[in-house]
Amino acid sequence: MGSRGRINAGKVAIAVAGHTSHVAKMAGLRLPVESHILQAFVSEPIKPLVHHVVSFGAELFYISQSDKGGLVFGGHIDGFNTYTQRGQFPKVQTVAECAVAVMPCVSRLRLLRHWGGIMDMTPDGSPFICKTPVKNLYLNGGWCYQGFKATPASGWTFAHTIANDEPHDLNRDFSLDRFERGGELDEHGIGNWTYKQ
Amino acid sequence: MRLPCPHCGLRDYSEFRYGGDASKERPKHGTGGFKAWHDYVFLFDNPKGPHREYWQHVLGCRRWFTLTRNTATNEVGAAK
Repeated sequence: MGSRGRINAGKVAIAVAGHTSHVAKMAGLRLPVESHILQAFVSEPIKPLVHHVVSFGAELFYISQSDKGGLVFGGHIDGFNTYTQRGQFPKVQTVAECAVAVMPCVSRLRLLRHWGGIMDMTPDGSPFICKTPVKNLYLNGGWCYQGFKATPASGWTFAHTIANDEPHDLNRDFSLDRFERGGELDEHGIGNWTYKQ
Repeated sequence: MRLPCPHCGLRDYSEFRYGGDASKERPKHGTGGFKAWHDYVFLFDNPKGPHREYWQHVLGCRRWFTLTRNTATNEVGAAK
């Protein structure tokens, strides 16, 4: 039911990063998802310095450079569930320390922009691309830190799942019931349990 | 954000570690089916609003406590 009346559809797909739990709740579902905040940063523009993405695994940090010259970087989630979209200052310090550890030459750059986005974190750190217990309702969510670079495969397998009412071989394991089956996905696996990290 | 440790008083959140949803009731040992344990461990209400949760003062007195916090505003209530 929207502000302009009721909208009907034969099949409904949920793809609403940040508030997946809330939309699913409308269908009576309770999900293995907890929403956390992740901060991102953009520096003032500089001449070409980084021509690809650099990932730093010793902490958790990534850095790349935009076409306009700003360095785009970020690190871990703040460490607790929130929808505020306001990052906590201590994490700004941690991420800046990572940046300088990887590339000391950036230490005197100023930040141009900084924001916090809401991440739907799953217990094993991997997403859902699947059917749900509700007939003709499909879910694509719980992408944690990831998502942007996975968009083509995510969209393609999700479309296949919706059209055939069956998952594709590629997304069969990204099901909602994988925790019941002992089928957790071991892909780095940084989930919402921040106290275990 | 600052959190009220029951022992040390108001301290910066970076001294603490979040311990998850405290409103979930753990099934008693030896009871509850597989489903009950799965739901306890893996499912979250994930509310946008008041949330009761565990925190530990890891870089202080190391005490565990429960806290009520509003996840939409980070407004912090009483600790127990």
